[in-house]
Amino acid sequence: MTNDCSKSKDELLEAALTGKTAAGLEGHLRNCPRCAQELAALRARRERMDALLPLVAQGAEPPPDFRARVMAAAESAGAGKRGRFWGAAALVGATAAVAAGLVIGFAQRRKEVRTARETELAAAEKLAAWRAPSDVLLKTPGREFLQRVPKLGDSYLHLPAQTPGRQPERAMEED
Amino acid sequence: MSELTGGRAALESPAWAEALMARTEADEREAGFGARVAQNQRRVFHIAFGVLGNPADAEEVAQEAFLRAYQKFESLREAQKFRAWINRIAFRLALNRQRGMRRRLTRESAWHAAGGSETLDGTRSADDRILLERLRQEIEALPEKLRRVLQLSIVEDMEAADVGAILGIPEGTVRSRLHTARKLLLEAMK
Repeated sequence: MTNDCSKSKDELLEAALTGKTAAGLEGHLRNCPRCAQELAALRARRERMDALLPLVAQGAEPPPDFRARVMAAAESAGAGKRGRFWGAAALVGATAAVAAGLVIGFAQRRKEVRTARETELAAAEKLAAWRAPSDVLLKTPGREFLQRVPKLGDSYLHLPAQTPGRQPERAMEED
Repeated sequence: MSELTGGRAALESPAWAEALMARTEADEREAGFGARVAQNQRRVFHIAFGVLGNPADAEEVAQEAFLRAYQKFESLREAQKFRAWINRIAFRLALNRQRGMRRRLTRESAWHAAGGSETLDGTRSADDRILLERLRQEIEALPEKLRRVLQLSIVEDMEAADVGAILGIPEGTVRSRLHTARKLLLEAMK
């Protein structure tokens, strides 16, 4: 194989595919029987390839009842779609009913709980405000003083400077 | 007489007329769709078969494509529009299925599952069968862009414009890729 032969490899393929031989290649083929033979082999191979290529896609055919099957499937899909619509509508309706029931039930329960709490609170307030009638009798002279909260640094023992109830006693001591 | 008048009134009632019209429209739709299936079924099947190499899978894909077309038939009444749409959807569905198949088994075994003899008539020689298997293997070895163009171009009744419409490329690009694909195949088939 000459240097020209390796150069003409692509041209040979092109010539085999298109059926047209470039001018430069024609000159080479006249002087190179090997490349001429190669071109003939490539052309024969291309013919076989072209004959077989359609079989890659068209080697099988759709079944004779293909159209009928498609039409039947389309019809059932249409019916199924309608059925699905009504099924979905029923499902939505049922869900809405359950949700409404839950909301109403929850609101009712909440109301009941709130009423019970309010009753309890009212009773507790009433109980807190209740004073026994005998409380008046239990009042001691030092009660006000004992109920007083001392300030910081103050003492429980520090008696108030002036107690209205004791003023007459002091006056007597001074006398 | 009064019965007759009542019957006529019922016939002329809008509800009855509407029901009749709806029925007629549905019948026309079915008939129109049936005609489109008949016109396109062979090509659609071959598009799927070219990608999948398996008649059973090709049939399922073709059927699925037509079912989708049926759901959109209102917007696909025009013959050319229907043809372009169904070609594209069949090819896409076939590619999707092929990807799924590849997860499970190799392409070679899929072709064997299809059965080489099924794709050749009885008059073909053993040499042709061997050559066809080799051809399929070499097509699979092509770069994807070239392979897609080749797979669609070898389908009967598919012009470069149809292939370009499916792949979203110009006709010139289709021809150029097809030429390169054939050249590579010719070289590989030594």
